[in-house]
Amino acid sequence: MGDLGLEEFPLCMAVIEPKYTMSGNVEVLLGVGDHVLLVEEDGGVQVVGEGLGPLQKMVVSCNGKLLASFTHDGQLLVMPTDFSSIIFEYACETAIAPEQLVWCGMDSVLLYWDDMLLMVGPYGDPVRYIYDEPIILIPECDGARILSNSTMEFLQRVPASTESIFKIGSTEPAALLYDALDHFDRRSAKADENLRLIRSSLPEAVEACVDAAGHEFDPSLQQTLLRAASYGQAFCSQFQRESIQEMSKTLRVLNAVRSPEIGIPLSIQQYKLLTPSVLIGRLVNAHQHLLALRISGYLGLNQEVVIMHWACSKLTVSSAIPDPTLLEILLDKLKLCRGISYAAVAGHADQTGRRKLAAMLVEHEPLSSKQVPLLLGIGEEDTALTKSTESGDTDLIYLVLFHIWQKRPPLELFGMIQARPLARDLFIRYARCYKHEFLKDFFLSTGQLHDVAYLLWKESWEMAKNPMAAGRGYSLHGPRIKLIEKAQNLFAETKEHVFESKAAEEHAKLLRIQHELEVSTKQPIFVDSSISDTIRTCIVLGNHRAAMKVKTEFKVSEKRWYWLKVFALATIRDWDALEKFSKEKRPPVGYKPFVEACIDADEKTEAVKYITKLADPREKAEVSLYLKHSKHLHVNAT
Amino acid sequence: MSQIPNLQNGPIDFTPIRDQSHKELISILKNIRGKKCLVLDPKLGGPLSLIVLTSVLKEHGAELHHLNEDPIESTCTKVVYLVQTQLHLMKLIASHIRSDTSKGLQREYFLYFVPRRAVACEKLLEEEKVHNLITIGEFPLYAIPVDEDILSFELDSSCKEFLTDGDTTSLWHIAKAIHKLEFAYGLIPNVRAKGKASVRVADMLNRMQDEEPVNSTDTDVPEINTVILIDREVDMITPMCCQLTYEGLLDEFLHINNGAVEIDGSIMDANEKDGKKKKVPLNSTDKLFRETRDLNFEVVVQVLRQKATSMKQDYTEMQSTNQTVSELKDFVKKLNSLPEMTRHINLAQHLSALTSKPSFSGRLDMEQTILEAESYDICFDHIEEMIHKQEPLVSVLRLLILLSVTNAGLPKRNFDYIRREILHSYGFEHIATLNNLEKAGLVKKQEGKSNWLTIKRALQLIVEDTDTTNPKDVSYVFSGYAPLSIRLIQHAIRSGWRPLEEILKLLPGTHTESKRSAFANANGPSSDILPGMDKPQDGRRSLVLVVFVGGVTFAEISALRFLSSQEGMAYDIIIGTTKIINGNTLTETFMGNMG
Repeated sequence: MGDLGLEEFPLCMAVIEPKYTMSGNVEVLLGVGDHVLLVEEDGGVQVVGEGLGPLQKMVVSCNGKLLASFTHDGQLLVMPTDFSSIIFEYACETAIAPEQLVWCGMDSVLLYWDDMLLMVGPYGDPVRYIYDEPIILIPECDGARILSNSTMEFLQRVPASTESIFKIGSTEPAALLYDALDHFDRRSAKADENLRLIRSSLPEAVEACVDAAGHEFDPSLQQTLLRAASYGQAFCSQFQRESIQEMSKTLRVLNAVRSPEIGIPLSIQQYKLLTPSVLIGRLVNAHQHLLALRISGYLGLNQEVVIMHWACSKLTVSSAIPDPTLLEILLDKLKLCRGISYAAVAGHADQTGRRKLAAMLVEHEPLSSKQVPLLLGIGEEDTALTKSTESGDTDLIYLVLFHIWQKRPPLELFGMIQARPLARDLFIRYARCYKHEFLKDFFLSTGQLHDVAYLLWKESWEMAKNPMAAGRGYSLHGPRIKLIEKAQNLFAETKEHVFESKAAEEHAKLLRIQHELEVSTKQPIFVDSSISDTIRTCIVLGNHRAAMKVKTEFKVSEKRWYWLKVFALATIRDWDALEKFSKEKRPPVGYKPFVEACIDADEKTEAVKYITKLADPREKAEVSLYLKHSKHLHVNAT
Repeated sequence: MSQIPNLQNGPIDFTPIRDQSHKELISILKNIRGKKCLVLDPKLGGPLSLIVLTSVLKEHGAELHHLNEDPIESTCTKVVYLVQTQLHLMKLIASHIRSDTSKGLQREYFLYFVPRRAVACEKLLEEEKVHNLITIGEFPLYAIPVDEDILSFELDSSCKEFLTDGDTTSLWHIAKAIHKLEFAYGLIPNVRAKGKASVRVADMLNRMQDEEPVNSTDTDVPEINTVILIDREVDMITPMCCQLTYEGLLDEFLHINNGAVEIDGSIMDANEKDGKKKKVPLNSTDKLFRETRDLNFEVVVQVLRQKATSMKQDYTEMQSTNQTVSELKDFVKKLNSLPEMTRHINLAQHLSALTSKPSFSGRLDMEQTILEAESYDICFDHIEEMIHKQEPLVSVLRLLILLSVTNAGLPKRNFDYIRREILHSYGFEHIATLNNLEKAGLVKKQEGKSNWLTIKRALQLIVEDTDTTNPKDVSYVFSGYAPLSIRLIQHAIRSGWRPLEEILKLLPGTHTESKRSAFANANGPSSDILPGMDKPQDGRRSLVLVVFVGGVTFAEISALRFLSSQEGMAYDIIIGTTKIINGNTLTETFMGNMG
């Protein structure tokens, strides 16, 4: 917060929590001189309450709405925290500031000097208490706790419902109902008379009895009040029964924690504000697991928190118990709660140095996504790999793989995945993307030479795609061919890969020839085209000798040769050469290529030359029909 | 018409699934305040367009980019990557970030994985030393309703990844997608699976139920009664054949992508000559398409002609006689369907031109010949000739796969010869393609005798005299061939796997049946043999979810819709698939990428 530029120390200070302020930020009140400064979190400063002070003490109420302050002239002022008005004023007998100024619930204020405690409430006269020993006041939502060296007391304004029943001479309906129960117990007819008196306000009376029971600390009084409520409820139809049950339930919990062995003397309002789950948290922290478990079971809350805390505490204190025994003890309790995380308990076991026990526990974890990381944490890598494979979740398998990869020498990793096809395939998939060299090592270690060969062959293409990596342009084919030849030799190592070896050999040869062609034609259009394309390109360029050379080098069949040459000639529309070619000898695939090439090039007159030579009569008829039909279409279109 | 289909008229309402994804995506965008550059994985662009309109993304301050090698050109300081969990994309992202750093650009990077984060991807980012610069999250998009009865898991290459690489990541995603479906529609009590991958998915599904149970009470009738999982590997034949339904044929020629085709503007409007591409949405919101998509294309032409004629008749009557107001109203109503009519007449005309070519009928003949499996040599020679003519490799491979699968592989001599011819004609880089196909068992050396004839006969796959106009059998979708996958599903729905055991053994992979309940004991679900499926209660049909692990074709979808529409059928069928595929797209996943 900002520098306020104050010349003197503030006389007093109070903080308003963010949840109670308009701005949603924390605000601080400072008593300075005769006014109060309201300082906001972002540095804004306002002057409020001018002329009220100087204030010697300030305190904000539990709900952040009211401010009690003690002025320099002995006045106790109560006002809203925005200082809009003064709600209450009380002149004390002394102008000496009290040692402690504390709210007691929402509507009274305690002031403490030396040995006197003064309770100032909105109605009636203040109450005075004298203490021989020094005390500390602790504000609560519904009262204040008073701590001395020897005792703890709880001071509270008597709740309205209690007052309405127990005030001497009270004729409130609730008091009459309470009285009626007394008569009923003594079999006196007065009971009925009482009831008739309050017939119309019976529901309120029942409600008051229930409420008063809640505020009571003495179980027998609670019981009597609830019995009164239940007695009254029998005579009124519209009252909700659940509220009595609910209250009984709440009181059972409260009585249990108030018992001296536990020692948490909560009032009902404090309990409600605290919420049951926080209470259970406090109980387990106080190692009252059994009670916590019973309460959470009784209230229908999730027992996982309690059991988990218990299991961890048990682990911490049971260093003397052997693993199997302790495992049994733990499992016996853990099974009480479905869906509990065995992995978390196992994790704790590992932290307390019981790795073997952790391994036993994690075995029981049904969620593989929790089980596997823990197995890795306790060094059970092999089991982790098995479990993750079983789960089918490849992400978990990768988690294990990377872990082993990082921690173990490569050969150990290779050994582990070799017998596990899924893990192996995933490893290969990743390594293919990023770790080529490492993958080669793996294949070499397992004797998969052909897979190394494939990798090398692939690299040869990557080199072509990314020439920068291999140096400059034309010298490129050298290293590429070397890689391919290496691949060829590796393929040749196993007899299952003769085909691949031969293909690699041909590929290397093709690259050489294409390179030569590029040099001789000065056209960079050959490299990385196929053998067939190379032949076609040569013919299109008119280089029939080169085409023929490629044909012989790669033992291209006559059939393929005819198709290629016919289509290439049609591409350059060299119809004379085509005709000459058709007459060289009887084409091994008949005249079909000639017909198709002409039709494709839309040269019907040329096509007709060959149609008559077609051997298959059906084919002949089909082609003729198509030509006629398409001519027809052509006419239509124009 | 929007590309986002209306989902409410389907057998099950998928709207909540789409809405959930929509919400999740928007909240991702909202959490990153201000203007941002949204860099989309190109594979995700299509699927996302089925969930959210681009304009909505823009409203939330997103400037759209597609992920590729080029660095991001934008003034935004926040860059949000939305990508599928794929290793190779990480390198692109890393190179973007490094390029920004070298230019001194300071940006905030967010990376959202679809459908979930992956250790392997993050490891790669670490290796590339950019991991600490990126805020990582996930967008759990496991299934997208492509239409009112189809869910796609958008796992494009799941078939190849499983068969060739042995990577089962996609199977886990499928199981997760179905399990998520169960959280919305209740535990599916019956699970039937055929094929290695499907059986794995079924196992994982049971495991997920053990780990994170879907809670439902016994009184709750689950919305989906049965899930039938089937591997694409079990039936590689069907996708390799040319689909002959209207939608199937559109897909074969124009490739339907996420419920739309992109075509030359001139096809839709003869006056448009600027060669601009036009996007035409195709889904069941279009009533005419809903009516015609599943018909054999021959019939579609007739239907369209009838409709046009009746409209013309109405029009003539309109000019000649005096009409009452209500008749006028009817006429105007009919006129409203005119744009749909025009659209489909244009598309049908385009398809007609393509299917009347001799090469098309030649292709169908050849497929037929291979399926009949009586003249191996003719088929082999035909494929050889295609290679010599250097026809598109993918067409060659489709027939080759068909030939290899129906013959339990090719004789060694043929196998080596055809592979050599392919390498010579299309380039040596296709050694990778051949290796992939061989590993997957799609084009391989012959081993043993083929079971195809037995299977074909037992399941009556070839149906003579198929009436395509008034079909009585699913074989109408291929004008005489009943898809193997659909025959298996027909049996699975009717009586479970049991009566079919002998035939199932002849097909790849194992099969399982299991019954599950929300209160399964710790030993997992019992594997008691089921009786035939329970009768539908209170006249409402129960639902069967058919999941194709590895993709489904439109023709198969049409066949399943045909089955649903039969009167004696006790079930409605909804379909889940890793992706909608056709022979080309499926074969292409196996192609390329040396290594």
